[in-house]
Amino acid sequence: MRRLTLAAALLTGSAITTPAIADDHLRIVEEPLELTIQMNHARYPVYEEDWPVERVAREMTGIHLINDTVGANMRTDENTGRTEALNLMLASGDIPDIVGSSRIRDFVNQYGPEGAFVPLNDLIAEHAPNIAAYYAERPDIEAAVKAADGQMYYIPYLPDGKYGRAYWIRTDWLDALGLEMPQTVEEYEAVLRAFKTQDPNGNGEADEVPFFVRQWPELIRLVTLWDGRAHGSDTYHDFLVEDGKISHGYIGEGYRDGISNLARWYADGLIDAEIFTRGSSARDFLLSENLGGSTHDWFASTGGYNRLSSEIEGFRFEAFVPPASVSGKRVEEHRRILVKPDGWAIGYTNEHPVETIRYFDFFFSEEGRRLANFGVEGEHYEMVDGAPVFTQAFLDQGPVNRSLYQAGAQLQARGYYMDYAYEWQWTNEFAKAGIELYDQGDYLIPDFLGVAFTEDEQKVYDRTWGSIRDYMLERQQSWILGNGDVMADWDGYIAQLDGMGMQDLLEVMQSAYERQYGG
Amino acid sequence: MTDRNTDVGGIPIEEVVIEAKEALRDRSPARRGETSWTRLWDHLRREWQIYLMLLPTIIWFIVFLYKPMYGLQIAFKDYSIFRGVAGSPWVGWEHFETLFSNDQFLRAVKNTITISFYNLLFGFPAPIILALMFNEVLHATYKRTAQTIVYLPHFISSVIISGIVITAFSPTAGIVNTVLDWLGFDAVYFLTQPEWFRPIFVGTGIWQEAGFGSIVFLAAIAGVNPSLYESAVVDGANRWQMMWRITVPSILPTILIMLIIRIGNIMEVSFELVILLYQPATYETADVVNTWVYRQGLQSGQYDLAAAAGLFNAVVAFVLVMTANTLSRRFSRTSLW
Repeated sequence: MRRLTLAAALLTGSAITTPAIADDHLRIVEEPLELTIQMNHARYPVYEEDWPVERVAREMTGIHLINDTVGANMRTDENTGRTEALNLMLASGDIPDIVGSSRIRDFVNQYGPEGAFVPLNDLIAEHAPNIAAYYAERPDIEAAVKAADGQMYYIPYLPDGKYGRAYWIRTDWLDALGLEMPQTVEEYEAVLRAFKTQDPNGNGEADEVPFFVRQWPELIRLVTLWDGRAHGSDTYHDFLVEDGKISHGYIGEGYRDGISNLARWYADGLIDAEIFTRGSSARDFLLSENLGGSTHDWFASTGGYNRLSSEIEGFRFEAFVPPASVSGKRVEEHRRILVKPDGWAIGYTNEHPVETIRYFDFFFSEEGRRLANFGVEGEHYEMVDGAPVFTQAFLDQGPVNRSLYQAGAQLQARGYYMDYAYEWQWTNEFAKAGIELYDQGDYLIPDFLGVAFTEDEQKVYDRTWGSIRDYMLERQQSWILGNGDVMADWDGYIAQLDGMGMQDLLEVMQSAYERQYGG
Repeated sequence: MTDRNTDVGGIPIEEVVIEAKEALRDRSPARRGETSWTRLWDHLRREWQIYLMLLPTIIWFIVFLYKPMYGLQIAFKDYSIFRGVAGSPWVGWEHFETLFSNDQFLRAVKNTITISFYNLLFGFPAPIILALMFNEVLHATYKRTAQTIVYLPHFISSVIISGIVITAFSPTAGIVNTVLDWLGFDAVYFLTQPEWFRPIFVGTGIWQEAGFGSIVFLAAIAGVNPSLYESAVVDGANRWQMMWRITVPSILPTILIMLIIRIGNIMEVSFELVILLYQPATYETADVVNTWVYRQGLQSGQYDLAAAAGLFNAVVAFVLVMTANTLSRRFSRTSLW
């Protein structure tokens, strides 16, 4: 009885705060319909039916999601691409009506054609006007999510906003040494060298670490300063696409020159001596110990380190535009990818595929998208001049993303289109200044959005890519550490890669790419 | 103590009677057909408590070791989790061909054997020596404290161990390089040098496991008949002689059994620690079969290939154990079975 009253109170409460419910234009079913869901994501391993966003979505659409997550405490990993929870779910033989997860693309594109997931092309065309309208505008993204059989098997999470990582530098150190902001690769080198030799932190020791990174593959991105390429997307060591041709950064001559120079920088102490083993705490440690000079890292989180100015006299860590390469090009290789391999799919035993796709479509409607991005009106945000603005009370609760996850918003295991406005509202001033700086130039280059393989192509990829990647990374680290000279070893390296099937691999990548994106 | 009426040569009279009955049955040709079954039944009825105690272990073996053997067939199939073990098509030896045409897999096999060999060479004697040393310590408190300290690393998780190792060998702040610096050497970035990986790995293993491994040998030493030492003392033997002439020969069967078990695990390098310590720069010496399988098989979902590599590992380990066991039985009459 008490539960009932509580539920009733909740219902009336939200009915008052969300007037949109009053009209029924978003309702999908007359009688409430229950669908089971599996949801896994690295950041919030457990799906909650009581999330405020779920509650409102339930009232608006009439569809009630029941948690049926297998392996709820298992994480899907962004970097290694592990999807153990999904594998476990599939191995258990019981696929819920809806499956949402990060790293779901390769998974559904492999098992969808085998019959484990419902193909979505017709369902979208007939029952999902909002999703269809989005894809009509972005055919490249529609192509990117498709499996090799031309079908879509999942509705993706679509990030918004352009920028990801940027170059950062201790501008107070520049001032202390009377240096200008580096504009070219030569000037950048000179600045890093000055950081090493002229004791900008003033403790009398040459303990400064001029360039450091949290994830060592970020170091490799510096080869863009010598017109090379490192990672073709926000997945490390990924292939790249240039003018419709698939290639790999690690076989380019710019890469060769870049590595040769990075080896020199490493030998001269311009790069963190422990670059490969320092790990994820590098930024935290080196900045708070007043040792780190420059890095390549995310806007928002890195800008936040300026709070250290209360502990370190004059501390200022600011973004600067990519230094011009040897040929004068300014390139920022990393960007926010247009479509994530995260999202949700319909399991093959789902008896209500039409209602389900309409539910997916709801999150692409204006109200649904706002709900997925900002949470619940009145509870998390207010409408100001027709745009959602987070309430101060909500922003004061602590890290905004965490609060949103706890409300059931910004769940990347849900297919929805992010609204960058949500992030901008609480981005710190240093990150904002950096983003505005990058906005004045045109430094971004197109990402490789990935391909789906046929079974035969998959075999070639499986046979060759793992070994090729290992070999490339092995040589890469060795060269930087000074074991071997990239200039002298280059021809042998390329020959070895060809011997391992590099050309076959590029060929299947190319044919898959042309099939998917139309040559 | 039981008295003589119920006890024949230390065996309860009851058992003697049953043994005699069974012997009689054996001799009666008319009942030969059912003999063994009846005997087994009698035996089970008599010893059921012991078999009850054995039951959990048997269940454990069935559930975790025998039932999974059904899944081994995926090494010969194009396995899809969705289609299941039975529904996936057969591909014959394809996965094994993939393995043995892959240079990195062959290198991983070589690395596994090399690291295991070093482990055996340096890691196996360490706990024995440690146990012998503990046995010679007379001061009880000192002995207990020392034992506790050397057992401790065994209980630390690999993640923390790797953190300690990475910090200790760090080129800027590590204790090892600090000492090298005092001695006037240049700093070495140990964990990215292929030639340093094996010494560091094997050394870490010894540091972590030698103490705990010594428990088995200490137990064996405790089981040596004290009268042997007493008579040795009477004969004027010193401690060194007692160790070499009494302790070591007495625990030799234990040593051999442990060695056979160890040889059976030669393909199983503790790969969590390798994963935590290796870098692409050290793959050359550090990449072992299990880490290779992890990168190629599990991370990219190629369970069938991983199963093929695992099966290969198991076959090699089986052959090694059989060989070691046979050799041991022939030369020392000590063997696992």
